[in-house]
Amino acid sequence: MNAKKLTQLGLLTTVALIIFIVELRIPNLAPIPGIKLGLANIVTVYAVYRFTAKETALILYARILLGSIFGGNMLAMLYSLGGGTLCLLGMLFLRKVIDEKHIWVCSVLGAVLHNIGQISVAVAVMKTTAVISYLPFLLVSGCIAGVFTGLCAQILISRGRKAPKI
Amino acid sequence: MKNTKLWITAAAVIFIAAAVWCVIILTKPRGDIVTITQDGKTLYTLDLGKEKDRLITVEYDGRENVIEIKDGRIHMLEADCPDHTCINTGWLEEVPIVCLPNKLAIEFADNENDAVAR
Repeated sequence: MNAKKLTQLGLLTTVALIIFIVELRIPNLAPIPGIKLGLANIVTVYAVYRFTAKETALILYARILLGSIFGGNMLAMLYSLGGGTLCLLGMLFLRKVIDEKHIWVCSVLGAVLHNIGQISVAVAVMKTTAVISYLPFLLVSGCIAGVFTGLCAQILISRGRKAPKI
Repeated sequence: MKNTKLWITAAAVIFIAAAVWCVIILTKPRGDIVTITQDGKTLYTLDLGKEKDRLITVEYDGRENVIEIKDGRIHMLEADCPDHTCINTGWLEEVPIVCLPNKLAIEFADNENDAVAR
C-alpha cells in the first residue's frame, strides 16, 4: 500500500468518524434501538465504488472500532459489526451488478442487509425472538436512510469524476 | 440495464413488505399476559389485568433494571445501561421493550405461536 492510498484511506476513515460522532448528538427519533440515519455509511458506499474490497473493509472496521470507543458505547459495537459485515459483503457483490448511476439502489439493499445483520446479532445475544418485532421498523427507516446516503455517495462520485485530477 | 430494474424492484418489494409488516405488528390484538425474559430465560409471566401496582427489580451482571407495574400497564422505570432506550420506549404497547445491554425483554405473550416456541 503506497503513501497516497494510505492517506486517502486515512482521510476517508476520519471523515466517516466525524460524521459518526456528530450523528451521535442527534436525538433518537423513535424509541427503537438501532434506528438512525447512518450518515457515516455515505463513506462506506463511496468506498465500495472507488476502492477495493480490502480497502473498503479497512475503512469500515476502523470506523466501527474507533467510533465505538469515542462514542463510549462498546456494547453497540457488536451490533455494528454484525450489520456492517453483512452490509459490506452484500454491497461488494452488488457493485458488480449495479452501475454507478444507480448507487442508491445498492445503498438501500445494503441498509436492508445491515438491519438484518443487526437483528440477527441481537437475537443471538438476547436469546429471545422479541427483538424481531423491531425488524420491520428498522427496515422502513433503513430503506429511507439508505436512499439518502446512497444518493449522497452517488452525487459525490459523479461530481468527483468531472472534477480536474489533482 | 435489465438487471438494475430487477434490483430496484427488489428494494421496492422489501420496503413495501416491511411497511405492511409494521402495520401488522401495530394492529395485532393483544391479551393481558406479559412475559419478562432475560438471557433466554423467562423470569416472570404476569397477567396485567390482575396484577397489583408494584416494582420488580431485575439484576444482571451487577446492573439493575427496575420495572414498574401501574394501573394495568408496565414499563421500565430505571436502568443502569448507558443508552436508556428501554426507559424511553415508555409503557409497553405493541412493540416489546428491550434492554440490549442487560439482555432484558418485556413483551406481550402471543396467543399460540409463542407457546409452542418456548
